[in-house]
Amino acid sequence: MTDTRRVESIQLLAITTTVNGHAWSGEVPVEEVLLDFARSRLGLKGSKRSCESEVCGACTMLVDGAPVSSCSFLAFEVNGREVTTVEGLADGDELSPLQQAFVTEVAAQCGYCTSGQLMAATALLNENPSPTYQEMQHWMSGNICRCGCYPAIARAIKSTVTRGEN
Amino acid sequence: MQLLSPMRVSFPTTVAEASDELRTHGDDARVYAGGAELVLLMRIGAVHVARLVDVKRLRGMRDVTWSDGRLEIGAAVTHRRLETDREVWRRLPMFADAESRIGNIRIRNQGTLGGNLAFNDPHSDPTPPLLVHDATVVLESTAGIRELALDNFVGETYDTALRQDEILTRILVRALPEEWGQAYRRVERFQRPTLNVAVAARARNGLIAEVRIAAGCLGPRATRLRELEASLAGVPVAEIDRIVDGAKPVLKGSLNPRSDLLGSADYKLHVAGVLLKRGLRAALGLGGAA
Repeated sequence: MTDTRRVESIQLLAITTTVNGHAWSGEVPVEEVLLDFARSRLGLKGSKRSCESEVCGACTMLVDGAPVSSCSFLAFEVNGREVTTVEGLADGDELSPLQQAFVTEVAAQCGYCTSGQLMAATALLNENPSPTYQEMQHWMSGNICRCGCYPAIARAIKSTVTRGEN
Repeated sequence: MQLLSPMRVSFPTTVAEASDELRTHGDDARVYAGGAELVLLMRIGAVHVARLVDVKRLRGMRDVTWSDGRLEIGAAVTHRRLETDREVWRRLPMFADAESRIGNIRIRNQGTLGGNLAFNDPHSDPTPPLLVHDATVVLESTAGIRELALDNFVGETYDTALRQDEILTRILVRALPEEWGQAYRRVERFQRPTLNVAVAARARNGLIAEVRIAAGCLGPRATRLRELEASLAGVPVAEIDRIVDGAKPVLKGSLNPRSDLLGSADYKLHVAGVLLKRGLRAALGLGGAA
C-alpha cells in the first residue's frame, strides 16, 4: 500500500545534463545526490562511495571541469552543466595519458580511491598543466589513499607533466 | 549508506519570495546555497529539512565587486572563486590565504562564504581574518535590510544573529592600508583548522604602531583579542614574545578554550600563544619561524 504522505512530499525536477559527452534528460528527486544519479540511474559505477562526508575524495566527479564530492552534491545542480566521471576519461579502449601513467607507476594498491584520484588529478592538469610539487600536494590533499600510494600517485601525475600531456 | 529524506526545493528570485518561504515553512525550511555543510548535516540526521530555499538566484548573490577599497562578496560566492581571484590575493592576502585552505578542493568548489559564516562552525577558516578586517554582513528579509558587524553576527557554536526569515546576502570587507602586514596561521586536523589566528599589524620606528588580532577554534566562537591588541600597541617589536607569553590569563578569558577530542584547553591555549607569536612576527616582517 502506498504511503501517501511520502508520495506527496516527493518533488521531481526536470533536468538536462551532459555526462561524459552524452546528453541526458529526465527527472530526479530533489534529494538525489550526484553519486547515486551516476551509479544507480546511469550505471556508472567507477565513482566510489566511501566517507560520505566530503573528506576522502573517492566519489570525486567533475562538474563543468571542477571537482566535487558527488556523495554530497545534489543531482539537480547539474542541470545545464557537464559532468565527467572516471568512465569519461578513456577514449574507447585507449586510456588517457594520466590513466596510463597510473598503470605504469602502479599508483594503486587496493584501487578503491583510484577513480577519485584520477578525477582530481585530471582537473588539476586541465587547470594547471605543469604544477609544482607543492601545488600538486595542495590540490590532491583532499584525496585520501589509505594504502599509502601517494609517492606513486605523485610520480604518475608528474610523469604526465614532463611529457607535456595529460 | 544513508539516503536523504524526501524534500522539496524552491528557487526564489527575490529576497521577498525567499523570506516568505522561510517564514511560511518555519523550522522545516533551510537556506540552501552550496550545500557543503547542509547536505552532510541532513545525511547524519542532525537537521531535518522538508524544504530547501535555494538562494543562488537572488540578485548579486554570486557577484564579487570592489568599490572604494571595499570588497563586496555575494553570499553564494564559492571559496574557489575567491581563492582564484588575483585582486583578492593582492588586496586581502590574509583572507585569500584562509580561503585557499578551507577543507579541500571539492569543498571549496561547492561551499560558499555565506554558507560558512551562516553555519558558524567555530572551526571556520575565514572568520578570524574577516574579524580583523572589521567585516560586516548584510541581512535581508521582507522586514527590511540591516548591516551588522561580523563580530555581532557570529554567536556561539552554530548560532548567529540571523532571524528565521532573514537571508545573508552580502559580506563587505574593507582592505587594510598597504603598509599593514598580514598573516593567517593555523594548525589543522582532518582538513579542518584545530586552531587559527589572524594578525594584521604595522610597525613604525621599531614600535608596533597598530595591530589587530583574532583567533578561532579554541572555544565556542572566533574572537577579536582586543585586550591583547591594547597591550601590544606602542610596544617595541622585540617585546612580542614577552607580552604574548604573559597574556595567557587574558587569552583564556577572551577565548574560553574547551577541552575536546582535538586537544585539552591547556594545549590549545599553548598552541594559540605559539601561533600568535608566529603570526605577529610574519605580519611585522620579522624573521623567525613562519
